[in-house]
Amino acid sequence: MAKKVIEIKGLNYSYPAGAEALKNINLDIYEGESLRIIGPNGAGKSTLLLHLNGILSGNSHIRVLDLEVEERNLPRIRSKVALVFQDPDDQLFMPTVFDDVAFGPVNMDLDKEKVRHLVKKALEAVGMQDALNRSSHHLSFGEKKRISIATVLSMEPEVLILDEPSSNLDPKARQHLIDLLKRFRLTKIIAGHDLELILEICDRVAVLDGGAIVADGDTKAILSNKSLMELHNLEVPLSLKLK
Amino acid sequence: MKHSFIDEYSDLDSLIHRLDPRVKLVTLVASLLFIISTRPTSFVTFVLYGILIFILIGLSKIPIGFIFKRSLVIIPFVLIIAIFIPFFKKGQVAGSYSFGSVHLTVTYEGLMVFWNVLVKAYLSILCMILLATSTKFSNLLKAFENMKCPKLMTMILSFMHRYIYVLVDEMMRMKRAKDSRTVGGKRWFHVKALSHMVGVLFIRAYERGERVYLAMCSRGFSGQIRTLQDFKLNKTDFCFLLTMAMLLIAIRTIRR
Repeated sequence: MAKKVIEIKGLNYSYPAGAEALKNINLDIYEGESLRIIGPNGAGKSTLLLHLNGILSGNSHIRVLDLEVEERNLPRIRSKVALVFQDPDDQLFMPTVFDDVAFGPVNMDLDKEKVRHLVKKALEAVGMQDALNRSSHHLSFGEKKRISIATVLSMEPEVLILDEPSSNLDPKARQHLIDLLKRFRLTKIIAGHDLELILEICDRVAVLDGGAIVADGDTKAILSNKSLMELHNLEVPLSLKLK
Repeated sequence: MKHSFIDEYSDLDSLIHRLDPRVKLVTLVASLLFIISTRPTSFVTFVLYGILIFILIGLSKIPIGFIFKRSLVIIPFVLIIAIFIPFFKKGQVAGSYSFGSVHLTVTYEGLMVFWNVLVKAYLSILCMILLATSTKFSNLLKAFENMKCPKLMTMILSFMHRYIYVLVDEMMRMKRAKDSRTVGGKRWFHVKALSHMVGVLFIRAYERGERVYLAMCSRGFSGQIRTLQDFKLNKTDFCFLLTMAMLLIAIRTIRR
């Protein structure tokens, strides 16, 4: 049995304004798994992701890599659980690509040479090693997405969390991203609607609707369940319909 | 969207571009001090400073027209402030004008101060434009940081430089969306729509700020932005610094 990487028990969360965002979420994620969280707009996907590295905290019990998610563990958890935001303009906030990719490692108090090495490795992993000294606002959208992933790879995380990684990408950039994600051996949690991408990358799917998990299991079994998919504003991917 | 307003020419390769940004910063401050403290009547000195600046601009390979255009943006502000000086300074009258009950006199002393303000401001502006256009903004900020400029200031400038383009894009998209749906309409209507857009832009900027902060926290931000700095002074830097110091002092000591 693989190691449990993330364990969520009875997670409830309400926004400060009072609206209930997550209701009694129970989820275990194992090492090396690729979990996809799907669900209609406003289902709470992003809110759930923000709990996994302690940005938000509801009244619950979340364990990440055998660490309780609480104030004193946050630095360690955040260096192991990498969260990539949907909008690369949020993810890339430093003046140059180098500074952005180095931001995490520098905060981890690594020495200069090690930081430089990690930055180089991360940029090579996403195929952007030539962008080192460019500024983020001179990059194309696809390039920004790739650099966004590099900014967390440089921290050598154990869990990679991506929020809508393929939105707004052109087909070539999207395919490049899929190939990239396939190569990574670490535990992946991906939120979003791109169902074809799930089929290629993820072995497990959780369906989130109205703040609760309504289905959790094998990718093909869930995605080909027409009544379930349509009940939650989703659809069966074309490639499964044709079979 | 591609923007290159601030560092359009910072990618050129020239002696000036290759200099360590800290050296450039120190040279700038020194030059400004020398220029500002020159006696107003030392016309030759001003000409020599001017020649020195134009030699540096020539070395930097930045088109001179671009530098002039930039300076034209700033000079009106100086003019607005300086234009009243000749009228208020007391002294030998150079000319007097009457407009009905308003009586204005211009004095030689006033004109001298006016000339002094203008020439010093213009030379200083040229120096600063040369620094700003020949240095990458990120490197300039790092140089400031390295010279013990308060971190908060450089952080604010850094975020401003990073997100100004994002906001400009956002505003432009909103304006296009508005224009695509407006046919005719009174001017007042457009002004009102514009004011709503400014409000929306503010909210969006605020929300983006929150998200950026979360993204920073996710990567271990703890209240201090730290960057790697690898400026190294080399022989050219020292030579440049020495030459500039010698030239500035030499120009200063030349008698009228």
